[in-house]
Amino acid sequence: MNIVVCVKQVPDTWAERKLKQGDATLDRESVDGLINELDEYAIEEALQIKEAHEGEVTVLTMGPQKASESIRKALSMGADKAVHLIDDALAGSDVLQTSYALAKVLENIGFDLIVLGAESTDARMGSMAAMLAERLSVPQLSLASKVEINGTAIKVNRQSEDGYWQVEAQLPAVISVVEKINEPRYPSFKGIMAAKKKPMQVMSCADAGIDTSLVGLANAATEVVDFTERPPRQAGTIVKDEGDGGNKAAEFLVTQKFI
Amino acid sequence: MDFGETEERQALRTAVAEIARSFGPAYYAAHAAERKPCDELWAALGEAGFIGVNIPEEYGGGGGGLTDLALVCEEIAAQGTPLLLLLVSAAISAGVISEFGTDEQRKTWLPGLAAGTSKVVFAITEPDAGSNTHRLSTTAVRDGGGWRLSGSKYYISGVDEAEALLVVARTGEAGPKGPRLSLFLVRTDAPGLARHLLPVDVLLPERQFTLHFDDVYLEPESLIGAEGDGFRQVFHGLNPERITGAAMAVGIARHVLTTAARYANDRQVWSVPIGAHQGVAHPLAKAKIETELAALMTRQAAWQHDHGQPAGESSNMAKYAAAEAALAACDAAIQSHGGNGLSSEYGLMPYWGLARLMRIAPVNREMILNYVAQHSLGLPRSY
Ligand SMILES: Cc1cc2nc3c(=O)[nH]c(=O)nc-3n(C[C@H](O)[C@H](O)[C@H](O)COP(=O)(O)OP(=O)(O)OC[C@H]3O[C@@H](n4cnc5c(N)ncnc54)[C@H](O)[C@@H]3O)c2cc1C
Repeated sequence: MNIVVCVKQVPDTWAERKLKQGDATLDRESVDGLINELDEYAIEEALQIKEAHEGEVTVLTMGPQKASESIRKALSMGADKAVHLIDDALAGSDVLQTSYALAKVLENIGFDLIVLGAESTDARMGSMAAMLAERLSVPQLSLASKVEINGTAIKVNRQSEDGYWQVEAQLPAVISVVEKINEPRYPSFKGIMAAKKKPMQVMSCADAGIDTSLVGLANAATEVVDFTERPPRQAGTIVKDEGDGGNKAAEFLVTQKFI
Repeated sequence: MDFGETEERQALRTAVAEIARSFGPAYYAAHAAERKPCDELWAALGEAGFIGVNIPEEYGGGGGGLTDLALVCEEIAAQGTPLLLLLVSAAISAGVISEFGTDEQRKTWLPGLAAGTSKVVFAITEPDAGSNTHRLSTTAVRDGGGWRLSGSKYYISGVDEAEALLVVARTGEAGPKGPRLSLFLVRTDAPGLARHLLPVDVLLPERQFTLHFDDVYLEPESLIGAEGDGFRQVFHGLNPERITGAAMAVGIARHVLTTAARYANDRQVWSVPIGAHQGVAHPLAKAKIETELAALMTRQAAWQHDHGQPAGESSNMAKYAAAEAALAACDAAIQSHGGNGLSSEYGLMPYWGLARLMRIAPVNREMILNYVAQHSLGLPRSY
């Protein structure tokens, strides 16, 4: 089975994340890049499926040069090979454009199953699986907390607030996974040493047949018109307990409309 | 000359740090306070293959070198979770068994060591023979094909966690080149071996023991390497112990300096954060410089060891510099924290204790100065 995991590099969620003053895109240079957290679950799921059913796991990343760090980590976790879509024309692409670009690559490299994290920690659109499924005309099974594959049949538990749905489809398909699905493994020493020897294919827009007039900040369907920095954290209110601390705390919560 | 670190080594740092960070300083402090081994961390690192990085691949290890192991030691310490037993089990025991063990011995011991599921600790120190290995009195005598071991050791770390001990024992009268020493693998449950807890007042997760060997029978296959060649073999293990000890000390220094810098940026007593006072900033900066210098020497020593070059001088220098840097860093970090520096909540004291230990063990500061005076400078031997 040919499994492709789409992996996004995002700014470290613990670092202070900022938009750039000029074009209001995310400042990716000044902070450490990490694999989007849910994508680690996606990689883990792909590896488990491969281990149970044989096949090959390919990591697909669209992003600047720096994103190759994340690709290498995915390879050291055990993925077999990688495709890095890298092109200046792609900078600033929104989710619609990114789904177009990724779909182009996916059509190129072929797939039986595409695995995604349900959302990214930076943009948080949570719509990539749906868009890819639509563009590639394959079923999507989103928010999976469990995946079962039997021949070409795929069955997932689709997580909802009060339980889960059982959803079934035929491969090829797109799935997106939630945190509950597994416990991502750490890269192992052997994995790290092997990663560099694994094939990493670098693709440009031209290689993938992506029309550059449809991608990038200037051609995006959405635009960030304005933004303001989060105001600095206000000093908290200290309630001194002089026997009535409970009441004062409750009063505060009422004024803040918490209770 | 290339001071860069390969992509693999950078990835190794990140991966090790990620595991260690998921445990973190609070985990370490709690285990140190309870004198409880950090089993979960050891197991997690073992599972990912980081405990056995320096063990040959055919025995389940990573096939890397001491440079890789030192990096593991440094990085876990830098996350506030140093593991003292890596210095003995991984650096000495696994190294010595890989180098001098028979194929049978390697097959028996290395896979467990590599996977992190078993430990072999190291016993050389004796009550009447401290820094002076020439006075070791624990003795093994022939008994048929095997041996009988008698004597005492003390301050032996991690006996309660280990499957076996690598024991340095005398196997004959001293010759012109020093005592006839041999190395034996002794199971910790061997009949005739008694152990008693030796309480120490530094907060360490690892416990120390006094050991008494009362005519302990050793199978023929307990001997590692050649009989009487223990001195040379031990020395093959002692450089790695010093190098990984130095790496651990560098990691401790990095951890406490990061912690102190964060605190000194936040804590405000007058109108500016305390880090703005040079009285606070300079000792931290000085310790930072000393730490980076020690890290460089540690890397050089590991590189020399891995390339089969003489590494005695650089290992000693690295261990000296790193222990001093770690102590200076802990002291400055504690001072920056004021009263909080001594609190359980801020958890700095366990690192100070470990750094303080590193000035004494595996080899004390004075013996290193003796070595450098005599071997690097050609001064007369002083003892
Ligand atoms: C917590 C802890 C864990 C340990 N774990 C282990 C272990 O796992 N395995 C093991 O075998 N040992 C272990 N040790 C023992 C440790 O390696 C020794 O304590 C150390 O090597 C110093 O030996 P000593 O204590 O006998 O000091 P001594 O040799 O008695 O020296 C005492 C002091 O005298 C000075 N001195 C001695 N000789 C000279 C000289 N020629 N010139 C100048 N000054 C000198 C030094 O300052 C030295 O610190 C451990 C010790 C501790 C405290």
